[in-house]
Amino acid sequence: MSKTTGEIQPVARGVFSLPPYDRRPPWLLGGWCPACNEYYFPRPPYCRSCLGPVQEVSLGSRGTIYSFTVIRTKAPFGLPTPYSVGYIDLTEKPLRVFCMLDPGAVDRLRVGQTVRLAVEPLGQNAQGEPCLRPFFTPCADEHTGEGL
Amino acid sequence: MGSAVIAGIGMTAFGRHPGRSLIDMAAEAARQALKDAGIAPSRIDACFFANALAGRLFGDFTVGQNVSWDVGINRVPVVNVENACTSGSTALYLAYNAVAAGQADAVLAVGAEKMYVPEFGLINSGMNELDTQLGLVAPASFALRAVRHMNEFGTTAEQLARVSVKNRRHAQNNPCAQFRDPVTVDEVLSAPMIVDPLTRLQCCPIADGAAAVVVCSPRGTPHPARAVTIHTALLTSGSYENPQDLTSWETDYRTCRRAYERAGIGPEDLDVVEVHDAFSISEILHYEALGLCNTGEGGRLVAEGATELGGRCPVNVSGGLLSRGHPVGATGIAQACEIVTQLRSEAGARQVDNAKVGLAQCMGGDKAGDTKSCTVAVFSV
Repeated sequence: MSKTTGEIQPVARGVFSLPPYDRRPPWLLGGWCPACNEYYFPRPPYCRSCLGPVQEVSLGSRGTIYSFTVIRTKAPFGLPTPYSVGYIDLTEKPLRVFCMLDPGAVDRLRVGQTVRLAVEPLGQNAQGEPCLRPFFTPCADEHTGEGL
Repeated sequence: MGSAVIAGIGMTAFGRHPGRSLIDMAAEAARQALKDAGIAPSRIDACFFANALAGRLFGDFTVGQNVSWDVGINRVPVVNVENACTSGSTALYLAYNAVAAGQADAVLAVGAEKMYVPEFGLINSGMNELDTQLGLVAPASFALRAVRHMNEFGTTAEQLARVSVKNRRHAQNNPCAQFRDPVTVDEVLSAPMIVDPLTRLQCCPIADGAAAVVVCSPRGTPHPARAVTIHTALLTSGSYENPQDLTSWETDYRTCRRAYERAGIGPEDLDVVEVHDAFSISEILHYEALGLCNTGEGGRLVAEGATELGGRCPVNVSGGLLSRGHPVGATGIAQACEIVTQLRSEAGARQVDNAKVGLAQCMGGDKAGDTKSCTVAVFSV
């Protein structure tokens, strides 16, 4: 992670942990309703079941690819062409979340692959400023999901 | 039995109309529909006008009042409807409800869109949505379904391409369709890749165009012999539950099932169907939701020709969105226009023999891996 990462704003707040990461992987942030034991991503202000407050919780750093695709047409937000997006089944929480996938790994992605979260400067925000975006990247050792 | 009928239809050709305004196109379709119905503007009790993009593209709003007054309709309620790709079918739903509830005797529903503007780009699910900011563009949300469907059921790239080939073949005989030249499976597969595995010829083109219907009570139509009964017109929204199964859209299945229940029919009763083939994979998923085949078998259904003109259940004989083009606000009403034309046996070379029962299905928006809006309407003569 470059030193300047900490000065660049996240694409959205409350979606992923912010640097510095101290050699831990970044993690996704979501919501949890303690009354309903319901998890959310992204975190809504109130629970959709009981309308009570939702706590911010870590959703972990790992998952498996449920589906993915590669966008080869002109990219929005100054993202690289091509880039990839997908749905990830999170390992730690019962959620299937939409996220970007590593634009440097578009030729190595497959359904069922284990992935971990990364956060790097990627494209621009709606105001045209460089920003941090979260993306999942293939784990070095796909069998164990280890290998950060 | 339904308590509302479509008495008149009207539609502009869909395509590139640089010299025409949104209001001009919408008024043309509305005028045609009123004349077709034989109903004077002064008899219209309400107007629902569907449009999705004029606010963003042109800074226009409350366009429906401009359109309705251009066809001589004033003083009555006019509602401007935006529901993404189901804007038009939502206007039809509102018109049907107004008449079925006895609140109105004759209602005009118009849908129109003008999309051929410089730098239009790709549609997304809203600029401020997190999904959009993480790179989700409309074709990608369908490509994600295609990849998963191929993975789970063995659906092939060729089967996907067959949807585009079939709809182009149908479009040859529809003068309102934007693209009418036939294409081959090889041409579809070798077209530029937009979002894996969807090539350009598997993505519906944008278009300018308008469509309109006059909905009235069964006794309110001057030409009962040409009226088409609306048995139900349903609108639902997504469940947004997590996780979403990207291969079988619960919202689509739920809406189709309810429409069958309300109309008292099943998939075996359908003679002609229009579905929201925004992308090749969409049509395959809608076959399955409609029960035209089992879940996972949609690719095989199109490959065996069951949904071609002359097949067991012809789908998108108009050419569908893939060939007609997708002027977002107009599409849902254009689908109804096609079904009415078929049930009146006025579709010429693309006529489905002895068509008595038709269905139109549409979907709009994307949220949490679900659709925001789904419509199904059932018609008969």
